Amino acid sequence: MVTLFGKRIRIFRPRSIWLRKVVQAFFFVLVLAITINHTLAESGGGIPLLSSASVHAICPFGGVETLYQFLTVGTLVQKVHQSAFTLMAIGFALAILVGPAFCGWACPLGTVQEWVSEIGRKIFRRRFNHFVPEKLDNVLRYLRYGVLAWVLYMTATTGTLFFDAYDPYSAMFHLWSSEVAIGGLVVLGITLLLSLFVERPWCKYACPYGALLGLSNLFRIFGIHRNESTCKADGACSIMCPMNIKVDTKTVVRDHQCISCMECTSEAICPVAKTVMLSTSRKTPATSAK
Amino acid sequence: MNITSKTLAALVIVMIFGGIMVSSALGLWQTTTTKEPAKFTEGEFAGQANPADIRGSYTFGDIEKNFGISGMLLAKAFGVSEGEPDAFQVKGLEELYASSEFEIGTNSVRLFVAFYNGQPYDLSTDIYMPESAAELLLERNLDPERLAYLQAHTVPNLAAGSESALPPATAPEATPTPQTAPAAETPVTASTNMVKGKTTFGELLSWGVPQAAIEQIIGGPLPEPSITAKDYCTAKGLSFETIKTQLQAEVDKVKK
Repeated sequence: MVTLFGKRIRIFRPRSIWLRKVVQAFFFVLVLAITINHTLAESGGGIPLLSSASVHAICPFGGVETLYQFLTVGTLVQKVHQSAFTLMAIGFALAILVGPAFCGWACPLGTVQEWVSEIGRKIFRRRFNHFVPEKLDNVLRYLRYGVLAWVLYMTATTGTLFFDAYDPYSAMFHLWSSEVAIGGLVVLGITLLLSLFVERPWCKYACPYGALLGLSNLFRIFGIHRNESTCKADGACSIMCPMNIKVDTKTVVRDHQCISCMECTSEAICPVAKTVMLSTSRKTPATSAK
Repeated sequence: MNITSKTLAALVIVMIFGGIMVSSALGLWQTTTTKEPAKFTEGEFAGQANPADIRGSYTFGDIEKNFGISGMLLAKAFGVSEGEPDAFQVKGLEELYASSEFEIGTNSVRLFVAFYNGQPYDLSTDIYMPESAAELLLERNLDPERLAYLQAHTVPNLAAGSESALPPATAPEATPTPQTAPAAETPVTASTNMVKGKTTFGELLSWGVPQAAIEQIIGGPLPEPSITAKDYCTAKGLSFETIKTQLQAEVDKVKK
C-alpha cells in the first residue's frame, strides 16, 4: 500500500498465496528426497546427512491407523513407526489452531494434484472445478468419512497396514520401488486424471486423513472470517476456493472441507483489504472500529 | 487477532520441525523399528521373542540375534545364495520368489522360526514354505499337527539363482503345487478333525470327545461350549500347545 494524494492505494496485489506454493514445493521435494534415500540406504548406499526414513515413518496418517492397536495391544501396526505418532500429534495441534493447514500447505499429494490442476485450469478455464453437479458433489464429499471408517476398521481387525494396498500417497513415493502396490498406483492414476477436471479430487472425496483433519474446521481457533460490512459480494473468494466453498455467503467458514490455503483472503483474491481474513474473531478491525 | 500467510507458513514449518526436534530430544522420534520383536507375555514361552512379530525390514542377522537361528541356516532354508546372509532383509524374499504361484515371504520366515524353535504360532491361515526350509524343519521334532501342516504347505524352490544353495533333492520343478500330505503318512492326518486355536469346546464334544476327558486335560469343569480352547488356555494361563496336543490325542482316539 502507498499513500498518493492522501489516499491509500494498493499498487500490487498478488492473486494467489505464493508463499504457500513455495512451502508446498519444499515439503514435496523433502519427502521425495527422503523416500529415495530410503531406497538407496536399503541397497547399501544413501546420502549420509539426509534422513532415510520410509514413507510410512513420515506419514501422519500412519499414527491414526495404528492408534487402535497401540491402545489395545501396546504395539504398532507393522511398517508404522513411532515417528508417525509425532507427526499425527503435530497435525492435530496445527488443525486445532489453524484448521487443516497440513492439507493445504504440506501434504505432497495435495501439491501434486494442484500442479496437475494447473493444466486442467488452462484447458477448461471457467469450467474447471465445476464439472460435478452440485447436488452430487455435496453427497460425494461425505464419502471420505466412509473411507476413514473403512480404513480404521480394517486396520484394527487385520492388524496390518491394510490401506497401503490402495494408498495413492504411498504409491507416489514408491514408484521406483518394488514395494509399490498396484491398487495404490491405480488410485493415484485416477486421482491425477481427475485433477485435470476437479481441484484436489482425492482430498475432496476420498482422503481419510483429510476427513479427520477437516473436522477441526468446526472448532479451530483461527478461522476464515468474512467482514460483511466491507464485502463487495463479488464472489471472488468463492470462485477462487479450490474446495468450492461458498465463502461469500458465510461470515465464518465452518465447512469441513476448508484446507486453510488462504486463497480466498484479502491477501490473495479478495480485492478489499481486511475483508476475508484468517483470524480468531468474526469482528475484523474494520467492524470493530464501528 | 489475524494471521497472515507469512505467519501461517512460519507456523507450519516451526510446528512440524519444532515438534520433530522436541520428540527427538525426548527419544520419541524413531523412524525405524528397534529390531526387537514383541515377547510372549504368558505361558511357558513368556519372555521369549515372538516370531509373529518378525518384520519385513528385519535382516537374517536380526533374526539370529533375537531367535538364535543363524543367518547361514536361514539363507539355506530360503535359497538365498547371493550376498551376505546376515544382511539379507526378510522382505527381499517376496522379490526372490516373485515367480512362485505361492507367496513365500515374511510369514514364511515367521512360521519357519516358530517351527524351528518349537514356539506357538497361529496356523489358521495358509503359509507356504520352500522345500529347502521344510527339509530343515523335518529334522526338528515337530508335533503331528505341525508336521501335517508343513507337508500340506511345502512348495518347490523357485527362487532364481538359489539352486546353488540347495541340496540336489530340492531342484526346482516346472509347476509349483503344494504337496498335499498323504492321509496315511502321519497319525494326525488320519483324522479330519484338527484341534486348532479356533476350535471350541462345543466342537470337541460334537466330535465325540468325552466331557470327562476334556475336564481332565484342562484340569477344571467344562467351560461354555462357545469358548475356544485357545482363549480358555490364555485366560487360565495354560500352555495351549500342551493342551492342544492332549486334546488332539483324545480326538484321534475317538476316530479310531
